Amino acid sequence: MELLASGQPTAPTTRPGRGAVGGFVATTGAALAAAGVLRTVDPHQSGHYPTCPFLAVTGVWCPGCGSLRALHDLLHLDLVGGLQRNPLAVAGVAALAVAWVCWGLRLAGRDAPHPTRIGPRWIWALLGLVLAFAVLRNVPGWTWLSPA
Amino acid sequence: MSYGQPPPPNPYGGQPYGGPPAGPPPSNNLVWAILSTLLCCLPLGVVSIVFAAQVNGKWQSGDQAGAHDAANKAKNFAIASAVVGLVVILGYIILVVAVGVGTT
Repeated sequence: MELLASGQPTAPTTRPGRGAVGGFVATTGAALAAAGVLRTVDPHQSGHYPTCPFLAVTGVWCPGCGSLRALHDLLHLDLVGGLQRNPLAVAGVAALAVAWVCWGLRLAGRDAPHPTRIGPRWIWALLGLVLAFAVLRNVPGWTWLSPA
Repeated sequence: MSYGQPPPPNPYGGQPYGGPPAGPPPSNNLVWAILSTLLCCLPLGVVSIVFAAQVNGKWQSGDQAGAHDAANKAKNFAIASAVVGLVVILGYIILVVAVGVGTT
């Protein structure tokens, strides 16, 4: 715990540690590598990736089902295709991209939002959204939310 | 008549009762929760979101110990979902390579 950081105004002079920058670089590299694989190896063809274990066991779509296909479509700049496969994954990737930018800004000494500063109500709302999405995409009439 | 000295400054930092404690809040691992929800296909991610919300809620209401407790649980669930995800992927690779499932 860094007690010195408490209560002080944003101090751009405090340099981030080498480990913090290394974590950012490693995460960025891993994300780019995963994006490269996902763009090349098409998840629309069965056998390229494992089926979602939740779907395989229960036969019910989970909130993440179709996210690989959605991300593959996004990497080919097919936003409509991505939304058809998993709209939550498209929104989630956008949110993660914002979090990544804010992380980089904080490492650069800028004042940027941090997940610990999000109001708890918004995280509970996210939980409700995920649960509603999980139920609705299995309900007849709402199958446009499912990857099929 | 002297009105005496001004009141001494609050030795505890003037933290309003019920507000967030001083110091950096514990990490709620919300990014890991979203990642495991979208990519691990397991209820583990949903549980992680619950703990992430608890971390921020307890911290903002001044419950420092509770926030750290929830943060630990959020971290453990993030690790668990990553391990489960890796085990599933490795198990699938073993099935495909050794047994030949999925080649038909």
